[in-house]
Amino acid sequence: MKNRLKVLRAERDWSQQDLAERLQVSRQSVNAIETGKYDPSLPLAFRIADLFGLPIENIFIRND
Amino acid sequence: MSQKAAKIETSFAGRHPWLWATAFAAALCAIAYCEHRGVLGGWRSLPFVAAAALLLIPLTKATNNRQAAAGALSPATRRYNRRMLIWSVGYVLCLGTAMTVHNYLDPQGALLWGISVLPSVPMVYFVWTLARYVIEEEDEYLRHRQTSAALIGLALVLLVGTLWGFLETFGVAPHVPAWWVVPVWAIGLGLGQTIMASAERRADRP
Repeated sequence: MKNRLKVLRAERDWSQQDLAERLQVSRQSVNAIETGKYDPSLPLAFRIADLFGLPIENIFIRND
Repeated sequence: MSQKAAKIETSFAGRHPWLWATAFAAALCAIAYCEHRGVLGGWRSLPFVAAAALLLIPLTKATNNRQAAAGALSPATRRYNRRMLIWSVGYVLCLGTAMTVHNYLDPQGALLWGISVLPSVPMVYFVWTLARYVIEEEDEYLRHRQTSAALIGLALVLLVGTLWGFLETFGVAPHVPAWWVVPVWAIGLGLGQTIMASAERRADRP
C-alpha cells in the first residue's frame, strides 16, 4: 500500500527519528512504512492519522 | 564515562557483530582441533571453552550498537539480546561440563541421565526468551521482522531435517545427532535477518 508519510513528514521538517519518537516506534518501523515495505496495523495507522490530523485515507492510498 | 571507557565503547560499536561471531566460531574450532590432536581435552578444555564464551559479550554489545545505529533497538530487543547472551554462555558451559564428565568419569545410571539432560536445560530458557520477546515487543514492525526471521529459521530446519532424514533412511548419508536443529535454526534466523535487511536497503533506494 502506498502512503504520503514521507511528504507529510517533510512538510513538517521532521526526520524519520522525530516521527518515530512522536509515534513511539523505532526509526526502522517508520522507514519500513514510508518505503511501503510494511503496512501498519489499524491502531498504528490511527495513531499516524491522529498525529498528522488527517483521515487515514488521506495518508494511505489504496493500490487499485 | 571516562575517555578510555568511551574509546572502548566506540571500538566495540565500530566492529561488525559477524566479526565477533566468527572469532567465537574460530575459537571453538581451535579448541576442537587441539582436542583432536590430544593437546587439550576434558578438564583442560573447560577454561578455554569458558574463555571462548566470553567473546559472546562483545558480540552482544556489537549487536546492540549496530541495531541502535539502524534505529532498531527497542527495550524488548535489548532484553532479548541480553537473555540470548545468558543462554549462549549457559549452553556452552553446560555442554562443556557434560562432555567433560562423560569423557573422564565414565558415568553410569542416574549421573549419565543427568549429564545427558544437562545441555538441554538452557533450551527451556531459550524458548522462554523467544516467547518473552514476542510478548514484550511493543514495536509491531520489529516483532514482525523477528518472527519472520524465526519462521525462515524453522523452514530451514524442516527442509534440511527432512532431506537429511531420508538420506539417512536410504543409507546415502551418515547419521547426524538431532541437537543440530538449534545451530541450523540459528543459521536460518541469521539468513532471514540478512534477507530482510537487504530488502529494506533495496526499498530505501530512491
